[in-house]
Amino acid sequence: MSVDTEETHQRLKAAVHYTVGRLCQKIGEDHRRQFSRQAIAAIAETTFRQCDIFAKDLEAFARHAKRSTVSVDDVKLVARRSTALSIYIQNKSDELTQEHMSLKKKTTAKRKNIETEEESRE
Amino acid sequence: MAEKDVEISFKKDTVSKLLSSFFKEDKTKLSGDATRLMVEMLKVFVQEAAVRSQKQAESEDCDQVDIEHFEKILPQLLLDF
Repeated sequence: MSVDTEETHQRLKAAVHYTVGRLCQKIGEDHRRQFSRQAIAAIAETTFRQCDIFAKDLEAFARHAKRSTVSVDDVKLVARRSTALSIYIQNKSDELTQEHMSLKKKTTAKRKNIETEEESRE
Repeated sequence: MAEKDVEISFKKDTVSKLLSSFFKEDKTKLSGDATRLMVEMLKVFVQEAAVRSQKQAESEDCDQVDIEHFEKILPQLLLDF
């Protein structure tokens, strides 16, 4: 079991490192200052470890609310320490809710269209 | 200079597997929306780390962002998150 986890973690670490590298490259280009490979590796490692903290917190919040599925509310709690971050996450959450609502409208509209089509055929 | 239209972010699948691997209980799951929000959160985390490190390098008149610059901003970064 632990060998599997180790392999999984290695693969996930590599995936994190890749995206971190790309983000650092972009920020480096924006400010015309390159990131050393060591710096990128350190940021990637820290991000990976931070996920452990996030995950444990998320799990604890969900369990506290007597849920086994981590929800958006749990994520909002994890973002509580910084006001700017809280607002940012809240905005993203609102965007998601908007998406769901417009998706619902589309599906309902489609269904109504199909129904009217069927009616007109009969 | 060509505009980079592609937004760089973590893959939803990666974040989901990553966070799930750290859960203590097997029954704990991550909702789709929660995963999407965590994708954003991680992106902010990395961007903060990078931008703060960059600013530190700038304040020290260094041409490159080295690990020492990241180490200096790390404590505050962790406190802020």
